[in-house]
Amino acid sequence: MQREVGTLPLAPALRARLAAAGFQTAQELLDTGPCGLSKEIGISREEALEALQVVRQECHGDAARTAGGSGATRKCTALELLEEEQTQGFIITFCSALDNILGGGVQLTKITEICGAPGVGKTQLCMQLAVDVQIPECFGGVAGEAVFIDTEGSFMVDRVVDIAAACVQHCHLIAEAQQEEDLRKALETFSLENILSHIYYFRCRDYTELLAQVYLLPEFLAEHSKVRLVVIDGIAFPFRHDFEDLSLRTRLLNGLAQQLIIIANDHRSAVVLTNQMTTRIGQSQSTLVPALGESWGHAATVRLIFHWDNSQRLATLYKSPSQKESTIAYHITSHGFRDVQPPAVTHSTEGPELNPRKRPRTEEEKQ
Amino acid sequence: MVVLRAGLCPGLTEDMIQLLRANGIRTVVDFVSSDLEDVARKCSLSYKALVAVRRVLLAQFSAFPANGADLYEELKSSTAILPTGSPSLDQLLDSGLYTGEVTELMGAPGSGKTQVCLGIAASVSLGLKQHVLFLDSTGGFTASRLHQMLQARTEDEEEQAIPGRLRLCFVLQLEALQRIQVVRVFNIYELLSALQELRDRLSQQVVSSVGPLKVVLLDSVSAVIYPLLGGRQSEGLALMMQLSRELKTLAREFSLAVVVTNQVTRDSSSGPLKPALGRSWSFVPSTRVLLESKEATWDKATTQRAATLAKSPRQPTGIQVELDIG
Repeated sequence: MQREVGTLPLAPALRARLAAAGFQTAQELLDTGPCGLSKEIGISREEALEALQVVRQECHGDAARTAGGSGATRKCTALELLEEEQTQGFIITFCSALDNILGGGVQLTKITEICGAPGVGKTQLCMQLAVDVQIPECFGGVAGEAVFIDTEGSFMVDRVVDIAAACVQHCHLIAEAQQEEDLRKALETFSLENILSHIYYFRCRDYTELLAQVYLLPEFLAEHSKVRLVVIDGIAFPFRHDFEDLSLRTRLLNGLAQQLIIIANDHRSAVVLTNQMTTRIGQSQSTLVPALGESWGHAATVRLIFHWDNSQRLATLYKSPSQKESTIAYHITSHGFRDVQPPAVTHSTEGPELNPRKRPRTEEEKQ
Repeated sequence: MVVLRAGLCPGLTEDMIQLLRANGIRTVVDFVSSDLEDVARKCSLSYKALVAVRRVLLAQFSAFPANGADLYEELKSSTAILPTGSPSLDQLLDSGLYTGEVTELMGAPGSGKTQVCLGIAASVSLGLKQHVLFLDSTGGFTASRLHQMLQARTEDEEEQAIPGRLRLCFVLQLEALQRIQVVRVFNIYELLSALQELRDRLSQQVVSSVGPLKVVLLDSVSAVIYPLLGGRQSEGLALMMQLSRELKTLAREFSLAVVVTNQVTRDSSSGPLKPALGRSWSFVPSTRVLLESKEATWDKATTQRAATLAKSPRQPTGIQVELDIG
């Protein structure tokens, strides 16, 4: 059976002309040759040659795949995928409850979306993950680098310094407790300067810059093959203001989602996005739902919703292909993203809360 | 509209084609619908040769009618009904997935479409020992969850005390996993290539790699089509229809059950949910099932889902059953 002309990746104008001239299968195109083709449909010889090049590539790709070659398709049996998944690492978040509900941490090769109201801790988790992805393998990390694409300008370097210092100290404590040689050797390269130099930071101010950045990302990742995490902090922001044409927005977002999933898959890295919340006004009540519409909800593979319950921060796993929905509580300290402390410790740090929606300013002594 | 080419049939030579083209006859349709005496006079070709060519072309390119009784006999012998692994869903679908048809599952994010697809793959691969092809366009296929489902199915009645039983379960699970092939396609052209490759392999009957394939699952079709629809691009709809034609031909010719998943959208922020991809796509699947979460908000976690029949050639629409995707 032949490939139909309509299924080949050619320019739409060219395709329309080919259909009008009566060409149906790829074989007919190849038989006609460039001169015949340029005469039949009235295009220049160079264009005909280019088109035939594309057709030949597609058909040879098909033939190679049929004959058993691997080609460029990502094809395997479920058993091979299972083995691959079992050896794949997770990026831990330092909050064991969150790691548990995610099944071990943020998964590589998947898109994770974090939605939440302002001030609930989305950017904090992103910064924590940018540090945690660099933890060496002997401590249970993936030893990768991070790309941080910032659209809102909320990336604070001094906060990352605090988080990184706490992480390095944590690893030192583990190394001392276990007294193993390779742990200590790994720690020599895991220092504050190293961590900061392996976070690649991009600032995008509007949606065109963001789209361009994601388009150029595969080349960047090909050069920096150790990158294991791509964070886009604030994917909602450039698309929410200044956008009149909503169907264009849906199209762009869907195209962006497909590009991100290709990046996540081909480079074996985790993609983390943060989203804002919007109010949906229903019959009798209004609820907070993630922004960017219904179709964006399908883009992410894993969806986490952060919300408040009086003054406690909660995280709900809303969508996941392998874990059940559940809710846990977490805490943000000066060291970063952590589990909720047992009640004996927290009540001493509770002070007067001026604004319950903003992170309370804890006055802990820096060590 | 096939262009006349030399070698298309025995009597058609290059000179003949040039003469015909000079008189405005370029495609097969032009040829068979023209008056042959007229053509013979204008192109100075022999009438008998033209009649012979027309006969061959008609035999090659036209469709032949079949009567209803033959069709029914053929359908009875070639259609199979595949269990989906969930008895309530089987009841909704009139005892299961029918081969030769396209079935669609639609739902909001988190409503369980991927879980139901994994369940179908597990049930067909383990229970019927048939091969399954899973086309993943969203990255949602998790092999460990599939393994979990297989474990639940093989180990539920067994007593672990019987020696060797655990090992037998393990072997069954491994075999079932090997029968499920996963292809990751992230744009429409890759998807069409993968379907073309499948069709080539099935028609050449390469048994070793494909085996007796019965189910093709596509999760999800809207992820690859959405970036193409709307705006000033006109080829989006054409590609969508090409895809639907490929899927339906595959289902009909090779007796496969094709399952696709689709998203839902709203007209306005408070309107009712409707399936994505519009009216044109709504004619493609013969059966449509809507999956919903029982709770209205995301605060309470549950594994219960409600499945409603939205379109079916066999059952009345509007039937609702409960599903557990846990």
